[in-house]
Amino acid sequence: MRGEPIQALNNGFNGLISMLRTDPQAMDSLHISVITFDREVHNLVPLTDLASFQPVEIHCPESGPTHTGEALEMLLKMIDNELVKGSTERKGDWKPLLFVFTDGKPSDIQKYRMCIPKIKAMDFGIIVGCAAGPKAEVSFLKELTDEVVKLDTTDSNTLTTFFRWVSSSIEMGSKSQGTGEILTLPPPPNELNIII
Amino acid sequence: MKTITIKSIIDPSRTYKYIDDGSPKQGGVKDVYFAPNRKYVVAFFRTALDFNQRDRIKRIVTLYLDNIKNGSAGDYFLQEIYRWPYDAVEQDGKTGVIVPIYDSKFFFAKGYGANAMIKGGEKVGKWFTAPSFRHQQYPLALDKSELGDWLSYFQIAINICRGIKKMHQMGLAHSDLSYNNVLIDPVSKSANIIDLDGLVVPGLYPPEVIGTADFIAPEVLKTKHLKLNDPNRILPNQKTDLHALAVLIYMYLLRRHPLRGGKIWDLDAEKDELMAMGEKALFVEHPTDRMNAVKTDQLRKWETFWGNPNKLSYTKTGPYLTDLFKRAFIDGLHNPMLRPIANEWETALLKTVDLIQPCSNPQCDEKWYVFDNSTKPICPFCGTAHKGSLPVIDLYFKFKDTVWKPEGHRLMVYHNQYLFKWHVSRKVIRNESLTAEDKNPVGYFTYYQNKWMLVNQDLQGMKDLTEQKDIPVNSMVELTDGKKILLSNEEGGRLLYITITNQ
Repeated sequence: MRGEPIQALNNGFNGLISMLRTDPQAMDSLHISVITFDREVHNLVPLTDLASFQPVEIHCPESGPTHTGEALEMLLKMIDNELVKGSTERKGDWKPLLFVFTDGKPSDIQKYRMCIPKIKAMDFGIIVGCAAGPKAEVSFLKELTDEVVKLDTTDSNTLTTFFRWVSSSIEMGSKSQGTGEILTLPPPPNELNIII
Repeated sequence: MKTITIKSIIDPSRTYKYIDDGSPKQGGVKDVYFAPNRKYVVAFFRTALDFNQRDRIKRIVTLYLDNIKNGSAGDYFLQEIYRWPYDAVEQDGKTGVIVPIYDSKFFFAKGYGANAMIKGGEKVGKWFTAPSFRHQQYPLALDKSELGDWLSYFQIAINICRGIKKMHQMGLAHSDLSYNNVLIDPVSKSANIIDLDGLVVPGLYPPEVIGTADFIAPEVLKTKHLKLNDPNRILPNQKTDLHALAVLIYMYLLRRHPLRGGKIWDLDAEKDELMAMGEKALFVEHPTDRMNAVKTDQLRKWETFWGNPNKLSYTKTGPYLTDLFKRAFIDGLHNPMLRPIANEWETALLKTVDLIQPCSNPQCDEKWYVFDNSTKPICPFCGTAHKGSLPVIDLYFKFKDTVWKPEGHRLMVYHNQYLFKWHVSRKVIRNESLTAEDKNPVGYFTYYQNKWMLVNQDLQGMKDLTEQKDIPVNSMVELTDGKKILLSNEEGGRLLYITITNQ
């Protein structure tokens, strides 16, 4: 990913932070951690509360493998270490939310598939996969989660809409609850194609 | 960008305009478009409404609106307390309501101290109940100019109580009272109840939501797993509004949640939440059952003051509110019939305002605190002790010709404190129906040449009973320990009994 798409992603992501920072509920409870994955996997932003979060610039190499599996592996480790687990003495953290954003497909497919059951066992609040751009393959993300959004283009408009949707998904918990039984994701914006 | 004109479905001769620029402001269930003159908004429900829902909307904008308009203090309620929808429209099968625009005071003038990110944003209540946003070391604290002082939140709570009182008098239930549905402005001390199209008419239109986390009554959560038509299922009603109201007042004054304590009911966070707010709900400040006491070593650093009931007990809100908090969170928590009604909260808040005194420390963030009946009062917020003597006045009413009985109403005196008609006479009640004339002060207290004085501005028949001397208008009387002052010899007139403490 380079050129406009990566610019748009950065803008979209930092825009997401700004959007969330206008919501007092998110400000009061939300922590964010960012893992980037290409040839290498980095925890670009360690788990940080929303108020202390500093804007970041995500860089991508021009070509090379996409180590999605390794990223999931790092995620598993981090959840083990950083997520406060509930005990009889202390309240645990709320279920984490996972958003996986990719414009390609996993190169380390074996590792990726090995991690998937472990991720699924982690009890995430929601897992959303986002396949962005023409080269992104939906099928691999579908193995991870049923909630896959395909963005045909990665221009800033589409990404802004997507991140606005992400933001409203994150904010769901603080909204009025229906008389029905379960909390579900808000309907996604019209511009996106949802693969079911 | 286009301007669209639509007709009222109540009276087709009325039309409204709105600007469609393709990206309406999105609320929970509605898309909001502004009128070109920005006097109102047109808010369309995103999904089509069924017959019942449309019928409810029609009633809200006709019957109930007229009820408020024609009732006492109609203007006050419609301008100061509610953003009440006043007409309904339809477009492409979607129903919309016409709602007056929010007053500019409900948008942040500055917002965060550090940047302009939320400048112009709506002042929903949550900003002011979370302690982090007022902690000056918090990276994104609100600017001090946005926060008001402790007295601001009394007036805000009083306004909300009046809004709920009126709704309940009309037979309606709010059903989703929370800090998201109330805009507040601590600077001008105002509150506005918004999103009123979901009102519940008991027996006629069922609620569509069970409420917002933090505010849902225990009995609603406890029966949430039952089917909607199960007779044991409890849905929002007036009694659950009263739970939400109590939580809201507690959070505005003490900036923590009354039921979020240290007890863990289940290792699964969701189940734990359901128990802690529902079936097992227990007041964190319960005097005898300490099971859910706050674990102060687990508080986040922004919460160490407000979050710690040992530092700031709910009893610091004074005797009248303490009593109501006990009824709401101890006696009535699992027994809805025992919960204080909105009118009781309003009265208790107003009486407490009379017990409030200014902090001697000019740097104090909260500036006011409730007199604690001690001889050496100390500000609970900054720890500054009161300097100088402190007159306390108890009000009495004439029971028989020579017998006066206490009102159970105390007035703390401070320099430049005013006396009003509602102090003078039992016939004047301090509520939204006061006339402009009744809101004028009739006297004031002042510390003058090292003496506490009461100046009579407008009271005929005021008399110093201890010295047996009339106190005519435009003269003053010194407040001394044990003195009795008659404010009015008309029927309902009260007598002041003075005690001087902290001498």
